[in-house]
Amino acid sequence: MSSTDPAPPEQGENLKPEAPRPGQPTELKLRFDGTASEYFRIWVVNLCLTLATLGIFSAWAKVRKKRYFYSHTVLDGTPFQYLGQPLPILKGRLVAVVLFAIYYAASHFFTSLLPVVIAAGLVIAPWAIARSAAFTARYSAYRNMTFSFTGDYRGTLRATYWLGLIPIIATGIAFQTSEVVAGGTAAIVFGIAFAVFGILFPWWLARFKKFLMSSTAFGGVSADMNITGGQLWSIYFRGGLLIAAGGVVVGGTGAVLVGVSHMPSYLAGALGLASFYVGYVLGYAYIKAASTNLVWSNTTLGPLRFVSTLRGRGLAWLYLSNAIAIVASLALLTPWAVVRTLKYRADHMQVVLDGELTAFSGSDTSSVQAAGAEVSEVFDLDLSL
Amino acid sequence: MNQITGIYFDGRHPLGAEATLIWSGPEASLCATNGLARHPLKGLRISPRIGCADRFISFPGGGQLQCKDADLLDELPQEGKTEGIVAWLEARRGMALVGIAVIAVLAALAYFQGLPRLAEYAAARVPVSAEREVGETSLRWLDGHGFFKPSTVGCGSQYELRSDFRRLVRGLPLEQEYRLVFRDAPTLGANALALPGGIIVITDGMMKLTASPDEALAVLAHETGHVELRHALRHALQDSAVGAAIAAVTGDASSLTSVVAGLPVALAQANYSREFETEADTYAFELLRSRGVSPANFAEIMARLEKDHEGKAGAAGFLASHPPTPDRIARARAASVGLDSPQAAPGPVPWILWSSGSDCPDGAAP
Repeated sequence: MSSTDPAPPEQGENLKPEAPRPGQPTELKLRFDGTASEYFRIWVVNLCLTLATLGIFSAWAKVRKKRYFYSHTVLDGTPFQYLGQPLPILKGRLVAVVLFAIYYAASHFFTSLLPVVIAAGLVIAPWAIARSAAFTARYSAYRNMTFSFTGDYRGTLRATYWLGLIPIIATGIAFQTSEVVAGGTAAIVFGIAFAVFGILFPWWLARFKKFLMSSTAFGGVSADMNITGGQLWSIYFRGGLLIAAGGVVVGGTGAVLVGVSHMPSYLAGALGLASFYVGYVLGYAYIKAASTNLVWSNTTLGPLRFVSTLRGRGLAWLYLSNAIAIVASLALLTPWAVVRTLKYRADHMQVVLDGELTAFSGSDTSSVQAAGAEVSEVFDLDLSL
Repeated sequence: MNQITGIYFDGRHPLGAEATLIWSGPEASLCATNGLARHPLKGLRISPRIGCADRFISFPGGGQLQCKDADLLDELPQEGKTEGIVAWLEARRGMALVGIAVIAVLAALAYFQGLPRLAEYAAARVPVSAEREVGETSLRWLDGHGFFKPSTVGCGSQYELRSDFRRLVRGLPLEQEYRLVFRDAPTLGANALALPGGIIVITDGMMKLTASPDEALAVLAHETGHVELRHALRHALQDSAVGAAIAAVTGDASSLTSVVAGLPVALAQANYSREFETEADTYAFELLRSRGVSPANFAEIMARLEKDHEGKAGAAGFLASHPPTPDRIARARAASVGLDSPQAAPGPVPWILWSSGSDCPDGAAP
């Protein structure tokens, strides 16, 4: 956060941001004000009920938790609102379980059917992506206006399979596991598919993210995002270097340790694995931070601009300390980890209003009440787990 | 008369205005600077209580009043009929403690009792033939990728062990499903494994360590236990369930912890592996006794395996993820009481004739 920020306004104040003078953007404060102790109680009760009902309550639990996260995410004094209902979520989960069972049976018992199942999965995937995005958007509201997702199956299909990237990797995997082709050829095909995928992935991701963003709208205004694959590629490249450097340092240190101190090799191995994990987390956190910053800083929603200021080191520390806390506490600190992560994210995101909020205007179908009326729709289901 | 003040959003504009809701009896009025609107109280809906977060009251026309949570809001018509109970539970510290206790008990019950029984029940209803395809594919894959090479155990010795094995499994429920396969697998060392669908593989490394056909048979009896008790399938089912359960518990934080979540999953699954090994041992001892072969043979080969592993880095192959070897040897000896002990041999006695390159068929029947 910049040091020139004014003191955080009290909740409820600042309803109508002062009409900005031209050339004077205002910052809308974003904060997450949930607390670990409060969320802990919600988490425990819902987990308990979920276990006791053999998972059926999980849909209700998801709604409770989402409501908590949304209503404690406060932008410019007004909290967000989650409107999703348990039954569509339960429906979505049942569908997901059935799909998974089919996949499981095909991969464990009827391997000859696996290609058919995977092909069907490739056809269904864009539909599932579009449905879930639409569900999330439609049931997220701010100031009594819901978001919306305009992407249809065709658009999602095009964005998902742009450059034929996923089919390429699928072909590679199919060749790798097939017995028809001789081992050498399969390895080459797989290698080529993997290399093509690896190199083109950032361009694919840029395109896919752009599709998701620009299909999301609020108050009749669509979001817009402009990043290039090249920008993402350099982030992934640097992140990859970090991971590789970690591996080299760790390998070297391990070899020296074994050589000099005659440390037992399994101990050195464990040590090496642990420090490799550190390198991996650093690289992963860097990629996450840099790409999130890139995406948000190039996104606009009508008069709103976003500035994301995540730091790789900060995220890496967050991941590591969370992981240690969760394992050491037998998962009891999970709510604490979740809350501090959400706080961290909100603290490193600035929303800038460059214009007037009146640029957004709702319609008959965008108010919170209209959203609730559609619950009975057959395909209103949430496939995101 | 009750009243609460909040911010009113009309649903069409993102700008709010301060407003006060006043209600008494069946009628509610919403007062704002620009006027007053009356609504029947039962037309209103208030969002469920969640922690101390703001609540939202919807009005028939699509408007919404956002206000601080307060007890008197309980009088308004609630949006979710049952969520109030959950919210009541969530608000209590004592309930959180009860919740932790219940979760611990449920998790332990599910892990030690529910899941293993459920998997056993389910596995018993899947025919072994359903696993055959996967087993065959695995074997072809291992053959095709250099993990398995043709065995150098001579045809005569293979034939000898095959006929012993046939006698061992005669009359067992899955008798028709078995297929014994000899392979040279340098990376696996002295090992034997049961692939899905009744395929049992014994490595040349293992054969080299055996001092008699009965010792090889003891190892095969252990693998037979895995097949008869459907361990491969039960293992897969239980592992998936454990993974799913842990993902559910830490799910909120999954993006941060997915790498670390693997550790407890692996530990929980390793415990199942050990239980399956013990189960297979017990089964093998019974089977061997019923065929007049002393389980002490198992103790002999296990002792030699352990000796063979000493000095090598880590315990690999047949010993890994198995119960501690001394326990297994002790149990094998205890199970062999009353039977003639095998002739104690100081080391491997060459009962096997080796060939340079095997051309023995992998036939289903010896």
